[in-house]
Amino acid sequence: MKILIADDEALSRRLLEKTLERAGYEVVAVENGRLAVEQLSRPDGPRLALLDWVMPELDGPGVCRAVRGQQDLQEQYVYMVLLTSKESKEDIVTGLESGADDYLTKPFNVDELKARLRTGERVLLLEGRLVEAREMMRFKATHDALTSIWNRGVIMDLLGRELVRSNRESACTIMLLGDVDHFKLINDTHGHPVGDEVLQEIARRLLLSIRSYDFVGRYGGEEFLLVLNNCNPEFAEKRAEEVRNVVSSRPIQTAAGALKVTMSFGLLLSKDWGVRPVGDLLYEVDAALYAAKAAGRNSIRMARPNLPSSGVSVHAGEAVHRLR
Amino acid sequence: MEKVQKYSQRPRLDMPELLNRVDNDRELVHDLLAIFKEEFPPQLQALHDAVASEDMTQTRVVSHTLKGMLSNLSITGAAKAAGKLEQLAHDGTKASLQEAFTAFELQVQGLLPEMETHMAEVRR
Repeated sequence: MKILIADDEALSRRLLEKTLERAGYEVVAVENGRLAVEQLSRPDGPRLALLDWVMPELDGPGVCRAVRGQQDLQEQYVYMVLLTSKESKEDIVTGLESGADDYLTKPFNVDELKARLRTGERVLLLEGRLVEAREMMRFKATHDALTSIWNRGVIMDLLGRELVRSNRESACTIMLLGDVDHFKLINDTHGHPVGDEVLQEIARRLLLSIRSYDFVGRYGGEEFLLVLNNCNPEFAEKRAEEVRNVVSSRPIQTAAGALKVTMSFGLLLSKDWGVRPVGDLLYEVDAALYAAKAAGRNSIRMARPNLPSSGVSVHAGEAVHRLR
Repeated sequence: MEKVQKYSQRPRLDMPELLNRVDNDRELVHDLLAIFKEEFPPQLQALHDAVASEDMTQTRVVSHTLKGMLSNLSITGAAKAAGKLEQLAHDGTKASLQEAFTAFELQVQGLLPEMETHMAEVRR
């Protein structure tokens, strides 16, 4: 484990360095408080620190306050032990109130030092487990369990946010709502586990087809919603074609063998619609998707304002499920 | 004079205690003594200057550093004398400062030659 030693006194620093190296730590040694804060602020910096109380530039309690002040920005907790020759209760209280986790009186006893650092390691281990559990819960709450892409709630939030942003910046956001063609047939013929494999592979391919700042989420059973930001409207159809191709261009390998799978897409350009509720736009892009299905599937249709969705009647939504 | 000789002839570094504290790492002890040899004279001079000019802040800072160095080497008497200076400077007690510094000087007199001897010992 990496540990920081901050001590302006060379002899003490050397003694600590050697003692801790011998105890198996990877030691980073600095000679003042400012350098200590720099080290502890690094993403890969030490999470365990031994800080001398009296140091130039910034003393040990000052380092604790600075690090704790940044704690919201830091992913991981830093466990800090103050080294002090101060023994009064007031001094100890001051040190602990600055954010130190523990203190050790100098000259230190090696066994006591090691024991206190082991306590710190236990705290960090526990904190690591809690963070891991929190991250896992956060992931589960925001991602689709089968495909690991954004779930419906998150992709809808992201869509709403991007539409607001693109309206504000007079930019264009592309909505692509895709549906796997004849998915029910895949499930009925090969079973649901194979259907799941197909959905997982489609999600993977869609994810690979977008830029790092675009979004893809599972909108429904076999429906996927892509939100492409800051797009040039002139290239929207070409971009949508690329996405469609990424699914249909090669078969999907499953336990039942290689399956040829295609998708149909509804396409909508936010700049064509002005400020409209997200629900309205979803309705329109869904109608365009229906039009793509009606046109023979494995195709794309664009939703245009003041047109009955590329020739599809406004009652299209009712018929969509029959076609899929 | 008799008192000075008494102090200077007495070994101040508790070598068995120091070796025990560093798991008998003689190379480390050599390193620590070498650092001390290099760092101690300028610190002593700085303390002398700070006391002479009654600069209480500087006296407190330097005596604190010296206290740390000395206690890390288990030179307890001198560390205690440095601690006394630190406390006086902290309290702003100028009247006893020179006297405390003289007591400290007595504690550290002959310390460097003693370090040389110990360095030669741990090398063996």
